[in-house]
Amino acid sequence: MSGTGDSGFDELGLDDALHADLQLAGRLDEVPAESVAAAKASFAWRTMDAELAELAADSAEEGKLLAGVRGPGAVRMLTFESPTLTVEVEVLEDGSRRRLVGQLVPPQAGRVEVRHSRGTVTVAADDLGRFSVDDLAAGPLSLHCSGIAGGKEIATDWVPV
Amino acid sequence: MADRAEDDADLVRRARAGDAGAWDALVERLGSRVWAVARAQGLNRADADDVFQITWMRLVTHLDAIREPERVSAWLAATARHESFRVLRRNGRQIPSGDDEDFEGTVLLEQPLDARILADERQKAVWDAVATLPPHCQRLMRLLMADPPFTYEQITELLDMRPGSIGPTRARCLEKLRRRLGAMDDKHERTTS
Repeated sequence: MSGTGDSGFDELGLDDALHADLQLAGRLDEVPAESVAAAKASFAWRTMDAELAELAADSAEEGKLLAGVRGPGAVRMLTFESPTLTVEVEVLEDGSRRRLVGQLVPPQAGRVEVRHSRGTVTVAADDLGRFSVDDLAAGPLSLHCSGIAGGKEIATDWVPV
Repeated sequence: MADRAEDDADLVRRARAGDAGAWDALVERLGSRVWAVARAQGLNRADADDVFQITWMRLVTHLDAIREPERVSAWLAATARHESFRVLRRNGRQIPSGDDEDFEGTVLLEQPLDARILADERQKAVWDAVATLPPHCQRLMRLLMADPPFTYEQITELLDMRPGSIGPTRARCLEKLRRRLGAMDDKHERTTS
């Protein structure tokens, strides 16, 4: 090995040319244009007044998918917690489609807006706080709950499902 | 560098005030770094897309809570890294350490076909040479591809490297890359003095 390899990163010349090469090669792996567009569009979801419900538990991260590993029938449990509301969600996976079955705690009626990179779906939670959403595309989502006791709006963390 | 950070902070403040144009500019400006972080953790493009979306959506949610707007670039990189680890864990994959030269996780480096078709020979040669490097080198090289470049301190954090190890590791990986490139492309004679 020649001496140039060990001279640290103050070394210019060769390394600079290589860096330029690397940056050029990096353009072969740019952010997809539709990803950039979706990230820009997410600004429309900016809500200043919503209380954040953080992801407190995710069965997938604990390696516990309830019914088998992935594939049809696999169930993932997510729990989001804020000071005023807990949102529990079962995610049922079927290929690239998802079904959500959720529960507001404490149980109460309300409105749940599912926000994801392709748009929003709004469903009602019944008097027992139960709600479900069918046939959702896989990808990141956040639940935005309103019409609940105390009048606060609650937005969950973003999670890929 | 300081000017860049000040410009970033300015965009964050304007976005906070509701300026969608400032938000778009932030995404344009810092998007390739977020992407590079996810890809350097070994995520494929589909998973990297999830991480990319979540990172920006989290920033939308936390925009008012960012204490140091001039450090938004570091916040984004740290968030993308954290979210990448989440995806790796979910997929049952090992979380790599930057200093682990024996790390055998699959890394990178599939690339979009359309980009490949449009690429020039040098780009392809460099990419292919990187793809033959050991995984820990590929991860480092992917971060070195980011434009604007990360600082060495940032790379050390993003790849969980020991402080001070990036210099030697980087030198060894670049030396390997140089040799592979030399072997692949004899026309490109590089003289070392």
